[in-house]
Amino acid sequence: MSERVTLPVRGMHCAACVGKVERALTDVPGVDEASVNLATERATVAYDPARADVARLRAAVDAAGYELGETPLLSGGHDAQDREEARAEDQRRLRTRVLAGAVLSVPILLGSMPEIFPWAPAWLRDPWRLLILATPVQFWVGAPFHRGFLHDLRYRTASMSTLVSLGTNAAYFFSVAVTLWPHTFMALGAMPYYETAAVVITLVALGRWLEARARGRTSDAIRRLVTLAPRTARVIRDGLEVDVPTGEVEIGDLVRIRPGERIPVDGEVVEGASTVDESMLTGESLPIEKVVGSPVYAGTVNLTGSFVFRATRVGAATTLARIIRLVEEAQGSRAPIQRLADRVATVFVPVVLVIAAATFVGWWLLGPAPSLLYALTNAVAVLVIACPCAMGLATPTAIMVGTGRGAEFGVLIKSAAALETLHRVDTVVFDKTGTLTVGRPAVTDVFALPPATEEDVLALAAAAELGSEHPIGAAIVARAKELGLALPPVTAFAAVPGQGIDAMAPEGRVLLGNRAFMEARGVDVSALDSHATALAEDGQTVVYLVLAFRPLGSIAVADVLRPEAPATVAALKARGIDVLMVTGDDRRTARAIARRAGLERVLAEVLPEDKAGEIARLGASGHRVAMVGDGINDAPALAQADVGIAMGSGTDIAIEAADVTLMRGDLRGVVVAHELSRTTIRVVKQNLVWAFGYNVVLIPVAAGLLYPLWGVLLSPILAGAAMAFSSVSVVTNSLRLKRWRPSVP
Amino acid sequence: MTTDPVCKMSVEPTKAAAQSVYKGQTYYFCAVGCKQKFDREPDKYLAGGASPMTR
Repeated sequence: MSERVTLPVRGMHCAACVGKVERALTDVPGVDEASVNLATERATVAYDPARADVARLRAAVDAAGYELGETPLLSGGHDAQDREEARAEDQRRLRTRVLAGAVLSVPILLGSMPEIFPWAPAWLRDPWRLLILATPVQFWVGAPFHRGFLHDLRYRTASMSTLVSLGTNAAYFFSVAVTLWPHTFMALGAMPYYETAAVVITLVALGRWLEARARGRTSDAIRRLVTLAPRTARVIRDGLEVDVPTGEVEIGDLVRIRPGERIPVDGEVVEGASTVDESMLTGESLPIEKVVGSPVYAGTVNLTGSFVFRATRVGAATTLARIIRLVEEAQGSRAPIQRLADRVATVFVPVVLVIAAATFVGWWLLGPAPSLLYALTNAVAVLVIACPCAMGLATPTAIMVGTGRGAEFGVLIKSAAALETLHRVDTVVFDKTGTLTVGRPAVTDVFALPPATEEDVLALAAAAELGSEHPIGAAIVARAKELGLALPPVTAFAAVPGQGIDAMAPEGRVLLGNRAFMEARGVDVSALDSHATALAEDGQTVVYLVLAFRPLGSIAVADVLRPEAPATVAALKARGIDVLMVTGDDRRTARAIARRAGLERVLAEVLPEDKAGEIARLGASGHRVAMVGDGINDAPALAQADVGIAMGSGTDIAIEAADVTLMRGDLRGVVVAHELSRTTIRVVKQNLVWAFGYNVVLIPVAAGLLYPLWGVLLSPILAGAAMAFSSVSVVTNSLRLKRWRPSVP
Repeated sequence: MTTDPVCKMSVEPTKAAAQSVYKGQTYYFCAVGCKQKFDREPDKYLAGGASPMTR
């Protein structure tokens, strides 16, 4: 007997934490397996209820240093909302900290720098008062960094937190020492560095807050996918129709569906006929005909007819549920990218520590008396100056300005991670229908048998399709309107789903439909066949027009390529990026579109569940993949890709699952996004140079290299100057992004 | 004007829903269903003396 429960986990922030929680859970006797997802912050545990229970699981996770929630989670549902609330709460807390730091830093600054602020009140200069002001900044505002430092120590790494914690603690405790024993230190000319500690912490905290804001909203894709399946189903039991919750439908139940309703579970039609919009599954823009024996899928929309089907797959087994699981897994497998600043710190910290140690030893052995005091003071000075306050601002300021600029060009970037990853993408995969193509059929060819003309054919067909909701009808009407054709009077429409339209014109009966439609009525359309076959080979859909049993002509419709598609593909290729197309459509149609778009690599006849698999496969072979899509069936692939790009004209769910939205529905946005990413990362790197630069230049000064020459050692003024200049440089450099323009129009 | 051999309704040829050619004669039907019945057993319906298209 095994029970399975999914519970929220709090406190994890890296892959090592995931391992710890999983081990803690599997160590509990009675647990068969535990799997923890970092991105969704959930743990799924399979256990034997006779030997273990949730309380024991919670105790085990608690002992490992994390927190396991109490309420079990249902798949999808309120997760995104909870996470969103937690995220907003975290952001609020960060903001409070930053504000507190700022408010306290102002008087500290005023009091510490009488040279620059001679008008500041004298009582503020008292080091004891500065100590009182600086302490909450150091230990409350700065708490996350000190915690990070301890975390880094445990795992023997170094990050920004290490640098900040080391530097500010050195500054703070040194300042406390100077405050406690002023006479001892006054001899060296040493001063307290309260303002350095406070400002550094405040600015780095500011950077963290900006980053949290830039990280974006949690994706709501799962919740929206879940709402696609209706909550109730009309089941036929004992001859009576009963509305039951969808969760209670069983395999074998008979379900009735009326026009306009969403199908609740997967099944097979047993009675009736209709057409169904399956675009969410296949991306196919044309409705699919359903007759006895046809499969139907949960989440799709029934269009015109009414039918009864037998449920074949329910609950977690439906195709919709599989899509949801795919999106969840894809979202969960996203590793958070390490901050660039952290990577610099990893290298920088050991170097600084070595320099500080060398400084200490050097002064102690070679320095003037009191050499121990000089050694301590200058080693501390090295640590203090090595902590750049602007390093926390380097990335978020650039990202903020960059995403803002992108939005001005119709490229909505939802997360900082997307902007950072885009420039490294080496493969772009385009969905076909609705992405590379417009997504709706348009008239591509009109053929007339003399004496009828093309205008006659188009006008009569449009008249017959005037009230039609079918995409083919809409295409024909649109084209006729475009040409300003006068439509003959046509009445008595009857649509035969999947086949055609039957209507009455003054001259006789009008039939507009496919070959099967005509054959069923005994009309001889062989005169139109040769023309039609050539078009069908090219992947187009052809409808014949017959008036009073005389074939008049044919109209071909097809989904057309977006006009900017070939240019976009060419631009991406010119940047050394591989371009592929993936689609559920048949190979013939797919290749025709691919050829016109200018790409050679086509993955056709791919089922929605396999789209994500293809992306994963590309990723596994070392590529950085961006996926461009618009439909619900693209959601798993969009979530799986390193960067998911959704068309603004696409479904809400695709937009939620993706990291970037092309608001203008223009494919060139992909190139714009790529360029923006490249430029933004360049600015981030420049920012890091500015952030570290001034401080690095002053490290030798702090170490005392200028002492033998000019008696110059580090002073709070110098440290303050470095802080000011580096911060201003970083912000100004980031603002330069406001003037960026993409090279494509 | 002609008569549907299956349901015996009068049908205007240009407005008929369906047609069938049998033994060189064209017959018109009021609905697709009637044509389907006719195509399965044409002689059965013609035995009743339905008139082929007169014109």
